Amino acid sequence: MSQRVTIEVPVNRVEGDLEIRVELEGGVVSNAWCSGTMYRGFERILVGRGAMDGLVVTPRVCGICSTAHLMAASRALDMIVHAEPPPDATRMRNVTLMTEHIQSDMRHAFLMFAVDFVNPIYKARPLFAEAVRRYEPFKGQTVLEVIRETKKVLEIVAIIGGQWPHSSYMVPGGIVSVPGRGDLRQCRLLLKQYRDWYERRVLGCSLSRWLDVRRASDLDVWLEESDAHRESELGFFIRFAREIGLDGIGKGHGNFVSYGSFELPEGTQVRGPRRDGLLVPAGFAQGTRVRPFDQMKIVEHTDYSWYKPSEGGKHPEEGETEPYATGHEGKRYSWAKAPRYEGAPAETGPLAEMIVAGSPLFADLVNRGGSSVLVRELARLTRPCELIPAMEMWLTEAVGDGTYYKAPTEIATGEGYGLTEAARGALGHWVRIRNGFIEHYQIITPTAWHASPRDASGVRGTTEEALVGTAVADPANPVELGHVVRSFDHCLVCTVHTIRRGRELGRITVGGA
Amino acid sequence: MPKTLYWLQCGGCGGDTMSALSAETPDLVETLGHLDLEVLWHPSISVGGHLEHRRLIESIVNGKQRLDILCVEGAVIRGPGGTGMYDKFAGEPKKNLLARLARQAQFVVAMGTCASFGGIGADSEVEATGVQFHRAEKGGFLGTTFVSQGGTPVINLPGCPCHTEVIVGALTALATGEALELTGQQTPVEWYGLLIHQGCVRNEYHEYRVEESDFGKKGCLFFHLGCHGPLAHGPCNKFLWGRRSSKTRVGVPCFGCTRPDFPQPHPFFYTRNIADIPLELPEGVDRAHYLAYKGMAAAAAPKRLQKRETRV
Repeated sequence: MSQRVTIEVPVNRVEGDLEIRVELEGGVVSNAWCSGTMYRGFERILVGRGAMDGLVVTPRVCGICSTAHLMAASRALDMIVHAEPPPDATRMRNVTLMTEHIQSDMRHAFLMFAVDFVNPIYKARPLFAEAVRRYEPFKGQTVLEVIRETKKVLEIVAIIGGQWPHSSYMVPGGIVSVPGRGDLRQCRLLLKQYRDWYERRVLGCSLSRWLDVRRASDLDVWLEESDAHRESELGFFIRFAREIGLDGIGKGHGNFVSYGSFELPEGTQVRGPRRDGLLVPAGFAQGTRVRPFDQMKIVEHTDYSWYKPSEGGKHPEEGETEPYATGHEGKRYSWAKAPRYEGAPAETGPLAEMIVAGSPLFADLVNRGGSSVLVRELARLTRPCELIPAMEMWLTEAVGDGTYYKAPTEIATGEGYGLTEAARGALGHWVRIRNGFIEHYQIITPTAWHASPRDASGVRGTTEEALVGTAVADPANPVELGHVVRSFDHCLVCTVHTIRRGRELGRITVGGA
Repeated sequence: MPKTLYWLQCGGCGGDTMSALSAETPDLVETLGHLDLEVLWHPSISVGGHLEHRRLIESIVNGKQRLDILCVEGAVIRGPGGTGMYDKFAGEPKKNLLARLARQAQFVVAMGTCASFGGIGADSEVEATGVQFHRAEKGGFLGTTFVSQGGTPVINLPGCPCHTEVIVGALTALATGEALELTGQQTPVEWYGLLIHQGCVRNEYHEYRVEESDFGKKGCLFFHLGCHGPLAHGPCNKFLWGRRSSKTRVGVPCFGCTRPDFPQPHPFFYTRNIADIPLELPEGVDRAHYLAYKGMAAAAAPKRLQKRETRV
């Protein structure tokens, strides 16, 4: 007889507060609930503020994705005033956001995800001692290097945008700064230094050698090719992850969404894979079948969230965020809403970007075994290979003391949205301005896609689904659940919604964890 | 015996942790090593599982584990209706955990503006407040009379995020037993006794009242674009960010993020003014004198500044 056990786990090493509850039958997860446990009331703070205030307030949604929020906020305003940022402004917006991505990818992988490899449960594994040498918090060799290198590359954002995190240098019509030749040169040097480190220590090979890995079988060839590959951070990570079976857990629904990112500026030599004018294309995929993306097909459900019910879900242009919870409402369990694309849940982030872009390696991996914890982390670890060459090109093409801002008309009344990719996936801001003030602001973060609770039809959210089927060796130390959850690179500080002033909320006795 | 640190994240964005990770020469890990400062818990970095974490909390609360420095990042969330259930940990309001830990700590440090003064959510339904201040008023969550085991009130390190050098500097002072002289807002004089404006490369434009009304130019941002450089305290233009630059240097107005009233209720990127002179003037400045001085300064502005020839 299989025994049914329920365990509840607050998850650390995700940004913000997340708790999961799973039912185990015979040691395997049979059902899962994912609960965002913090509500910060952000969108509400924006309503009634000045039209441009989203540029200052929304980066503060998230200390890790602040540049992505700035990009989404400024693109929404660009749309409202029909602004046309000069090509070099687009270059600098892109380069700084890409800088945020390439440092976040490494920090997530090595400071937050791989730390689980030193969990005592793996003590008897042959690679354990080496994992400790690399990943032990505050001590591991990899940890020290990642801290050292990531902070340096972020200096690019400081040079162009003044500081990281939380600057507001992107504005409708471009960016406020006018980088000189010396500034651009410094940025190129910082990027060169990061690339050298990334190739030497993370990949153990050149970017171009890695980009030749185009099939699952190539990956094994690459791994066996040299000690440099096997012993590199990527090589060791893959070996350890396979040893503990991360290629077999965390599959999920198998749907992927990318809003697309990094508009190609006029006259650039950089090319995107799908000719939609973006370096990272937009699309929705079921398995590896990619369809065009239309933001009108996004709705958010609140049937299982502590918000006012909305029948059948609402598009973010009309979505509301009104807390709604009572002590008698047992069905609701999260501060995250449930976004759906054409009614379906989806995962987003580096793997989704690779699938939508038609990456042959990741299409092959997903066609063979579906999504998994390992494939998801592999996409994150190697995404800088896709971004660094374009960054170099844009830092070379941009003109020192050139044109970085074209004043748009004043923002009076209008509606728009800004879509982009944050380091951890699709991010959108939907904004309505009336008479120079914000009337409506809705944000859907990548973590809303990932931490989503069930929707109106009771379909599980992305992480919940990915947890089902996971075998847990020791319910008192459920490290396997941590692997699955962290592979989505949750950023819970982002699942923040608003309420209207003056509503009676009643008593909240939620969770019961 | 190493000193110990517990880092508690409440209603915030994690930005202060990101700022701390940017520490340079020594970096964050080197700093902790030099100080012999052991991090008992940091939610983004620590390896232990939730059971170990609960055991750790218990041993701090019952006095078995010494806690030297409690760092609080993010605002204390009290809503709805004072319950604190908008931010909970393992089923209970996180503010209760903060209260228990604060009683045991030698020093309590409020990292960033949300923890110091309430910040982003201070006037909203989440009922955010600072650890010992609510906006500019002493009290906040722990109350006016709170003093930590080490005999000091909460040390406020505002900034959104708190500047890297301030985080490292404050931890160093506390771990080595150096006293930090505090202002009336309980911020260390060392870093908050100067203005953001000091060290801005646009200062010469400011002196001669060469002011901009739109982005992408070299002049000063104080008169029209809402810059708080002369009105807000902090070391941004002394230490710079990533030791490279600052918002005001690249042309982003200072938003006054170290101030208790951040985020201000009126629109950003805009200076409220009377007769073309900013409504809010630097501390201690007489309006009539300022008007005369700025008029003369504008008249004396050299051509190279009027033509924006001087680089910033």
